[in-house]
Amino acid sequence: MALGMMKPVKPGLEAPHEELHRIRITLSSKNVKNLEKVCADLVNGAKNKSLKVKGPVRMPTKVLLITTRKSPCGEGTNTWDRFELRVHKRVIDLVSSSEVVKQITSITIEPGVEVEVTIADP
Amino acid sequence: MGKKKFIDKKKSATFQLLARDSSNPSNDDGPSGDRIFVRVDDSPYPVHGFFDEDVHNVEGTAHPGYSFETDVTNDSNSIFTNAFGDHDGDDKYDRFEIHGNQNQTLLTGAVPLPDHTRREILELGLPDDGYNYLNHLREIKNTGGGSAFYHNSKAKLDQLPLDVKAYDASKVRIPISLANGDANDNSLYTVAAKTVGLRIQKAVDPEVAALLDDGDMSRFGSDVEDLEEDFVVRANPPEEKEDVLDKSMNSVDRSRVTRQEVRKHAICYAEEQGSQLLGCDASRCHEAEQGTVTEQPRVRRLLDEQFDMLTLQEYDTDSDYDNDGSIAAEGESLADKLSHVLKDHVTDELDLVDKYKVPADFLHKSGGSNSRELVDSASDVIRRCVEYAEMYNENEGNEDVMVLEESSGESEVWDCETIVSTYSNLDNHPGTIEAPEYGRKKKLAETVSKAAASDRVISLRGKERLPVEFLPHSRNAVVEKVKKAPSTKPELPKRRPHSQESKEEKKERKAAVKEERREARKAKKELKELYQCEAQRAQRVAAVSGPSSVHVM
Repeated sequence: MALGMMKPVKPGLEAPHEELHRIRITLSSKNVKNLEKVCADLVNGAKNKSLKVKGPVRMPTKVLLITTRKSPCGEGTNTWDRFELRVHKRVIDLVSSSEVVKQITSITIEPGVEVEVTIADP
Repeated sequence: MGKKKFIDKKKSATFQLLARDSSNPSNDDGPSGDRIFVRVDDSPYPVHGFFDEDVHNVEGTAHPGYSFETDVTNDSNSIFTNAFGDHDGDDKYDRFEIHGNQNQTLLTGAVPLPDHTRREILELGLPDDGYNYLNHLREIKNTGGGSAFYHNSKAKLDQLPLDVKAYDASKVRIPISLANGDANDNSLYTVAAKTVGLRIQKAVDPEVAALLDDGDMSRFGSDVEDLEEDFVVRANPPEEKEDVLDKSMNSVDRSRVTRQEVRKHAICYAEEQGSQLLGCDASRCHEAEQGTVTEQPRVRRLLDEQFDMLTLQEYDTDSDYDNDGSIAAEGESLADKLSHVLKDHVTDELDLVDKYKVPADFLHKSGGSNSRELVDSASDVIRRCVEYAEMYNENEGNEDVMVLEESSGESEVWDCETIVSTYSNLDNHPGTIEAPEYGRKKKLAETVSKAAASDRVISLRGKERLPVEFLPHSRNAVVEKVKKAPSTKPELPKRRPHSQESKEEKKERKAAVKEERREARKAKKELKELYQCEAQRAQRVAAVSGPSSVHVM
């Protein structure tokens, strides 16, 4: 299935004088709430500009586990600590010009969310 | 399944949204000004529409203050960075991992460096990787090289005194012949002849000029700065006007005082003279140049009049001195005049080395040339002594005069005759001090030899099995020793050669040696006992005062 097809020009609208790109925005964060917020904002922004948007695809969360003994010495019951770091990842696909993308991504960014943009020619 | 990917990573450009340095004010214009897109991959895929555009053109309703964070696992500066070659697992999401320091080069600027900057960087030999190394260049300053200029903030360079000395040479007259005789038009003299007097302002420090010009030195409290060279002569008026009737103490004292003052004045005057000659005071320079010491055309000042008054008062003369002229005018030299004037006054006899003269000698004229005043002073001294003696003798009967011995410096020095011990009588109990028992060994040898000579077995008695006769404090031994001391000495046992000793003799010998040793031990112990406190005291002193490296105990 062709996912990255060019959107046919709607009648009544001018053909975009800027060439369109296929753009993938990858968002990753340790904080789910912020991440979801940013995703929602981006998608809304793209939809406002009536771009073709593939909604936030949620990648599986990566969990980094560290399991250590609680005790600083060897004495006592062998209790263990389980520390984890969860990294969430979302992917948004767009088809638009780079200008627009810049506009979109300049809007709202929560702290702790890392944004990566990949542009490819269609 | 041949699924067509949305984005082919090999043919795409990846950008990260990074926060800019917010301390740079140019980065903060607009809500999105603190973020830029930084290319993080190194595929050659060019993106024209994205990367080159300036972020500042983007408008939007961004929330201010937000900033992106870098990909912590890929940013080589981050502490979470993966090690080189360490991948985050082979994730199936086609993530393009960035390794190495490529991030570094793109982090600082979205815009490539301008060409002239790049050229400069290349000229310096630095790599051309988009980083502006010129920011780190230091300008070559003068780091000392001998003497560096240290900017002293407290230096008032504009208030330094001018290193200028100006002389008023307007009154110098160059003889015309000298000026014209030189063929050279620009010679020193021709130029000098044409000089014009110039009013110079502040050529001399005004304070210095004021001081030099200050005729009224009343604030220094002395009026001797203006003395002439022949002031001594003038001070001591000529013979015929001297008051020869005054034979009392007053004249003697006065003359003595005058003599001292004369000396003082001579010194002061010499200094003043020197300063006058060296001074830059314009008004006096030309006078000094004339070469004479006295100043002929000098204006009489208040001080001169004061001085005259003083001399008049002191010497009861009413003459107006006409001797203000220079010495050259008079036929007599200054030295002669001085000696003539002072000959009647007391002078120090500087060759009293051989003879020590008592006032009585002066009275009786027993040697040397005694001036009249010397004799008078001598007589005066003698008279005074007599008076004091009388006074003293009177007082003797009336009061109980306590004669206190002063401790002069001499008495502080101890000599071997005066000192026996520095300890006081509290410490030095006669009974405690004993002569050291050096005669111990001799005594022992005597007793041993006595015993050997007596042909008796040495009897060991008592619990300790000691040879009682040989103990130091036993009465018997003392008695015997007294009797036999002179005779025992030559009777020391003959030492037979070792092999011929019989058993008994050997035993005896060994026993004697043992006894000797025992006695010695005892004696040592007693001595130690005796001087224990002395030793302790010495140790204490040494511990306090001795060097720390010396092991006391």
